[in-house]
Amino acid sequence: MVNHPREKEWEEKAKKELKERPLDSIVWETPEGIQVNPLYTAEDLNRIDHADTLPGLPPYVRGPMATMYAGRPWTIRQYAGFSTARESNEFYRKSLAAGQAGLSIAFDLPTHRGYDSDHPRVAGDVGKAGVAVDSIEDMKILFDRIPLDKMSVSMTMNGAVLPILGGYIVAAEEQGVSHELLTGTIQNDILKEYLTRNTYIYPPQPSMRIVSDIMAYCSKEMPRFNTVSISGYHMMEAGADTVLQTAFTLADGLEYVRAALRAGMDIDAFAPRLSFFFGVGMSFFMNIAMLRAARLLWHRLMSVFNPKNPRSSMLRTHCQTSGWSLTEQDPYNNIIRTTLECMSAVLGGTQSLHTNSFDEAVGLPTDFSAHIARNTQLIVQEESKVCHAIDPLGGSYYVEMLTTMIVDEAQKIIDEIEEMGGMTKAIESGMPKMRIEEAAARKQARIDQGIEAIIGVNRYATDDKVDFEVREVPDYIRNEQVERLAELRKMRDNKEVERTLAELTHAAESGGNLLEATLPAVRARATVGEISNALEVVFGRFVATTLCISGVYASEYRDTTVIESLRKRAARFVETEGRRPRILLTKMGQDGHDRGVKVVATAFADLGFDVDISPMFQTPEEAARMAVENDVHLVGVSSLAAGHKILVPDLMRRLSENGGEEIMVIVGGVIPPKDYQFLYDAGVVGIFGPGTSIIESANKVLNILENRH
Amino acid sequence: MTSQSSVSPPGSAGEGKQAPVRNSDYYVNGVLAADRLVLSKTITLMESSLPEHQEMALDVVERLLPHTGKAIRLGITGVPGGGKSTFIETLGMKLIEAGHRVAVIAVDPSSKISGGSIMGDKTRMQFLSAQENAFVRPAATGQTLGGVARKTRESMLICEAAGFDVVIVETVGVGQLETTVASMVDFFLVLMIPGAGDELQGIKRGILELADAIVINKADGDNLTKARLAQREYETALHLVNPRSPDWRPPVLTCSALEKTGIDEVWDVVLRHREKLGATGELEARRREQVFEWTWFLVDEGLREWFYKNAGTKTLLPAIKKKIGSGVITPTRAARELLETITGKE
Repeated sequence: MVNHPREKEWEEKAKKELKERPLDSIVWETPEGIQVNPLYTAEDLNRIDHADTLPGLPPYVRGPMATMYAGRPWTIRQYAGFSTARESNEFYRKSLAAGQAGLSIAFDLPTHRGYDSDHPRVAGDVGKAGVAVDSIEDMKILFDRIPLDKMSVSMTMNGAVLPILGGYIVAAEEQGVSHELLTGTIQNDILKEYLTRNTYIYPPQPSMRIVSDIMAYCSKEMPRFNTVSISGYHMMEAGADTVLQTAFTLADGLEYVRAALRAGMDIDAFAPRLSFFFGVGMSFFMNIAMLRAARLLWHRLMSVFNPKNPRSSMLRTHCQTSGWSLTEQDPYNNIIRTTLECMSAVLGGTQSLHTNSFDEAVGLPTDFSAHIARNTQLIVQEESKVCHAIDPLGGSYYVEMLTTMIVDEAQKIIDEIEEMGGMTKAIESGMPKMRIEEAAARKQARIDQGIEAIIGVNRYATDDKVDFEVREVPDYIRNEQVERLAELRKMRDNKEVERTLAELTHAAESGGNLLEATLPAVRARATVGEISNALEVVFGRFVATTLCISGVYASEYRDTTVIESLRKRAARFVETEGRRPRILLTKMGQDGHDRGVKVVATAFADLGFDVDISPMFQTPEEAARMAVENDVHLVGVSSLAAGHKILVPDLMRRLSENGGEEIMVIVGGVIPPKDYQFLYDAGVVGIFGPGTSIIESANKVLNILENRH
Repeated sequence: MTSQSSVSPPGSAGEGKQAPVRNSDYYVNGVLAADRLVLSKTITLMESSLPEHQEMALDVVERLLPHTGKAIRLGITGVPGGGKSTFIETLGMKLIEAGHRVAVIAVDPSSKISGGSIMGDKTRMQFLSAQENAFVRPAATGQTLGGVARKTRESMLICEAAGFDVVIVETVGVGQLETTVASMVDFFLVLMIPGAGDELQGIKRGILELADAIVINKADGDNLTKARLAQREYETALHLVNPRSPDWRPPVLTCSALEKTGIDEVWDVVLRHREKLGATGELEARRREQVFEWTWFLVDEGLREWFYKNAGTKTLLPAIKKKIGSGVITPTRAARELLETITGKE
């Protein structure tokens, strides 16, 4: 087990300490399926090529900068946005005054999906999981008294990237700031949307054209602006382990590079402006190693294109701590989790970082929780003295070995994707999504069995309830936005709007840079919805194919008696009711986070339920009709984007109208505790917050069904 | 046989909620009035394994029977990932635009181990599902072939009685279920995709014998040449198979459900088949034959069930199993002894 001249001596001592247990029992099989020894030595290190390299020099495994935090600490960049542009603007200015260094804007789901706030499909989503932006007028308010020539602005936008990036550019113009002074990042990473987050609008091919058009425009006009932030974060949140996150993210990156090369650009014209975005979870050393491995791999992958500029093969990244690792139970534990994840990101060498607020498992962050989250970083940065060290874990036998193992495993998957013809082809085949969903189902099974510990959930659970305030976005926000839209449509020159939109549609049909063609429409006050629609008439709106895995949850669940007893319960249900318990799992509104619903679907089927699964983005009416036609016993609503107070009561009403008043409704996801009673009063029969074990929820669902007569 | 009394319907009301009186009139009248809610409830009633539900369902289906038989019955099968749902979505939308009313029974396999299932096909037909003139019902196979056969067949009849003039049964192309579905439809369509290695893709030769047409889907983009190639290979393969009808040689077509090309041609083939075999009287004969087959199938199923429930069989079975296992008696002898428990010694 140990490569060392005194291996035997160590092993003897180790065996004594372990008493009964064999030596192999302290080898760790990680969720990635990697066998990790508890101890490595200088001899292991000798076999690693990258061990004796320097930060700021290829292959950048020790960091992209030569001086790292000793020269300049990472940027504290908190992602935020909610309600209206005015409220978000106030929040941003307060945060900047309190020590935050850059802006990171969260848009609401209707904006992401290219719908205006008055669109009938978005009733529950306006201003909820981000700020509602309908036009340049909202953008101007969002950046009010924030000088865009000095402030680096990061925008998480992928679907409606043209009207939003266009809005930012025009907002700067109207502040008197010229294009070349703009600094910041637009996420503009559409490929991962088809994998995990689902905030796409158009099919992959035209979407890829939008990405390369933005790269082309910005490389000329906005040389200091990062044009794509290639994101693994959402994959991690959807269940990907460190190897999958690394492999799929870098494979996405390769695809953008090729798209830009195909569009005739020079590698050094755009590659230095590609940045990355990784998610950092609870596995402390694995996540540190992941960031180091990703830098090494990116350098390796980019070398093939022979860039002249060293920055072209240098991976710079933003990181965010894992929202999924936060729990509703014992919620102050989340502060500690976030601190550990923050340390992982810092020791891994991130360039900027967002730390989550402890209340994000139940709702939107408040001023108080956002303050704690920001201070977590400030304390690590300014009190802990870590910034004096450049890559402090470089040369650590353990971390260097983990780094190598992640590099090797991720490289294998990247090779597999290359063989398929690249990431677009791989996505079409469904492979990456299935792998991520499988990893998610396995993780859930390990957590439900207590193999993977979560303090306060599956170990040391406490009955003490903690009461804290949760931010709520009032429903009248939507009315405000709708009124502003009506006013805008009256005030502007509608002839000019129509003309510019027609030109945009023309550009979509005939070629020509789409960002360039978007700007006149933005200046003319065309809305986000109108601009998106001008492209949709040519490109169409993408509809995802829902595929489901099966058998994974049960196979990872080692205690077969638990699984068997549930299967027997389901079988007994058949004896009394004449059919299996049948449940429709649905996602309503524009919330595309489908990890939860997919994990529950596959696990419930493994436990003997008949499971119907609805398409994404349902209206309550559509979900109700499906429930009635399929004649299910129960509808399970998954809500992660704060739309539940509007969408769930609407669903209940529609069920009744369609004759489905016997169909019961349960809700899962991110639900603030104070909304529980509201939902129960609306007729919901069960609420399952984050951290509920699937076994427990399946038993509860059967209790509900058996006791309903 | 008619039981007008109300039984507790499947999936019935929770406490304090009002449920309508659900007797067979409720079901029959509702289906005939094309009430979607009742249509869905009737299928559930018919799917139920409870004897009192089955009794009522028998009555309901019997009363609906005179209103059936007018629809075009189309069976569609193919490999998983072959784009069946997308194909049905595209075909279904075209049919609805042409004024048809389309019902789809989408059969998904139940797990043999857990008994559960995930029914995701309807999700992949979201535009069709939203149509006023469409009804898409996902169904799980359950554990027995007999069960799924009965449920699929009767779901089809119920939809016909509700006035749907095209009924499509969709199944995954594995196992015996295809044979069963082929024996309840007018036209059996096998959907394939190009370039999945071996062109016969593990689909049994037996399925080719049942096919009234083979359609190569995903004939788009880079796949176009591969699709043509597959088309020729299937044409060759079909030449080696005895056709089901002397008047119909199953054609091999290509289409792209995604790009909506070649779909009209597929429907034309269905209509041509109908016209040709309608004229010769073969279509009617096929349906008649299917009814007989169905009857004998039910007799087989009944006998089997009766056999295993028989007290003599139950007592003798463990001992016989042991004897076969240890090679004391031959399987022929064992079978004879078991059968004698119900027939008596001759």
